[in-house]
Amino acid sequence: MMSFTHNGVQVEDTFAEGFSMWGSRIIITAASERWANTAASTMTGFATSVIACDCEAGVESTVAAEASPDGRPGVAVMVYGFSKGKLAESMLNRMGQCVLTCPSTAVFNGLPEAEADEMLDVGKSLRFFGDSYQVKMRVGDGWLQRRRFWRIPVMEGEFLVEEKLGAKKAVAGGNFLIMGDSQGATLRAGEAAIDAIHTVPGVVTPFPGGLCRSGSKVGSTYKFLKASTNTPFCPSIKNTLKGSKVPEGVNSVLEVVINGLEERQVVKAMGVGVDAATRVEGVKWITAVNFDGKLGKFKMGLRSSLEGI
Amino acid sequence: MKQLVLTPRGASRIPVEAEAVSPDAVAGKTLEEVKALPVYRGNKAFSLSTFFDVDGKVAEAAEEQHIVVDGDAGHVKYIGKAMTAGRVVVQGDAGMHTGSQMTGGELTVTGSAGDWLGAEMKGGLIRVLGDAGNQAAAAYRGSSEGMTGGCVLVKGSVGSEACSFMRRGMVVVGGGTGPFTGVHMNGGEVFVFGELGKRAGAQAKGNGGFIAGFGGAREVLPTYIYETTYTHTFMRLYLRQLAGNLGVEEAARFIDAPMRRYRGDMAVGGSAEILLAEKE
Repeated sequence: MMSFTHNGVQVEDTFAEGFSMWGSRIIITAASERWANTAASTMTGFATSVIACDCEAGVESTVAAEASPDGRPGVAVMVYGFSKGKLAESMLNRMGQCVLTCPSTAVFNGLPEAEADEMLDVGKSLRFFGDSYQVKMRVGDGWLQRRRFWRIPVMEGEFLVEEKLGAKKAVAGGNFLIMGDSQGATLRAGEAAIDAIHTVPGVVTPFPGGLCRSGSKVGSTYKFLKASTNTPFCPSIKNTLKGSKVPEGVNSVLEVVINGLEERQVVKAMGVGVDAATRVEGVKWITAVNFDGKLGKFKMGLRSSLEGI
Repeated sequence: MKQLVLTPRGASRIPVEAEAVSPDAVAGKTLEEVKALPVYRGNKAFSLSTFFDVDGKVAEAAEEQHIVVDGDAGHVKYIGKAMTAGRVVVQGDAGMHTGSQMTGGELTVTGSAGDWLGAEMKGGLIRVLGDAGNQAAAAYRGSSEGMTGGCVLVKGSVGSEACSFMRRGMVVVGGGTGPFTGVHMNGGEVFVFGELGKRAGAQAKGNGGFIAGFGGAREVLPTYIYETTYTHTFMRLYLRQLAGNLGVEEAARFIDAPMRRYRGDMAVGGSAEILLAEKE
């Protein structure tokens, strides 16, 4: 196994295998941070992996009131789907059930048309919830950048949603594994990695708190199960499993999975994440998950990610 | 930008029709050609230099042309008519039809403007630091659509029938408005920081159009139905833009203000809105 050292920790000279997905970003604003966060966390719930979820989603960052479109506290949320259609469907359902229903919220496009590959008519579809009482709102006709919104009457007041939301071909599956000598050390390293990753714009970590403790492998011993626990990286069976990949002295492994709008952003996030994790005492190894380059379009090397930070 | 200065040679009791005072009309010409551009007084044609001293530089393209009318031009009609780009600044008053049918660029009048300011405007930005006459941003008689884009900003007051048949675009009035503001409007946004005149929104159909009044209203037509009073999230976007980008400072005061929502004009089955800020 080829490796190199970073911050005194062995890093396997391998790559994360990413694949293409469609990604979108919205800004949710609300009367207070409490309700912006509530809407964002509700909307991004049950969206860790497309293995069993309709999409992958996460909170990218908070948006200060001064920088948000309507001057209220906001949260930037990103959603990823396997196709434009799937993405639009997931966004429509999630915005309809989780944001429209949340007190005081409004939704703005977070991916301008100039940066997007497609503009999805999600707000335009959501307007029908207004049952013909929705109101079209126009901004900028003939003198500024033209934007369209819909105002939907709701019991509490009015829900404002931008008509079109930007989407683009994005990158999913950036990852690295943190291997530590104890569960505590590995978790601390994972937390440090996530904190660092969230300083990089344009990426999200869809798993709970950004960390995935049960990496998965394709298939299982059961015919009815298409994915199962990542046995080669489970320390609790490392000495009885033939082909275990858990190095000597490692007793806990956590995976960080990163989706981003651009490959360079995902690579940068991997780099800053690995750098932060390797600064925590007790971390022994860092590696990444790939399928020998057979499945994914993107090969994001750990070495190059660290060179880029 | 290249600056061309037109200094009016005094006033005229008979209005002068000067569509030549536009970046599109002068761009690409020599100074001599600009001086010879036709203007009309009554039924006679004259050269531009008959009524203006012409000096400065002419740009190749309209977007690079800055025209300064250096003095009172209240007797000059059609300044900036149908302009597509560039900048025109009138240092004083401007006559009727200023900026009418313009599609782009920026036009500023430091004094007041006559009737039909920005009539049937399609794009661009007009600023009037004084008042404007009747039918500002309106449709010409017989037209089914008035303003379809752009922004008109009048610091003072406007006369009657402002924004008639308005379809899209934005009009901001710092003072009050005369009667029939937004009559027949079918879209577009009207902001009035003074008192909204009588019969506002008469026969308005809706299509997202609204009249927002921040200085009260003389009356609201009985064909407008009061719905409720609440703080509109969408209004924050407009008011922040007015305060932050267009220099309408008083807009900032109303960002969190509750507004009374009226829907109408029910006489035509309309769904336009009149939104009136609660008195502070």
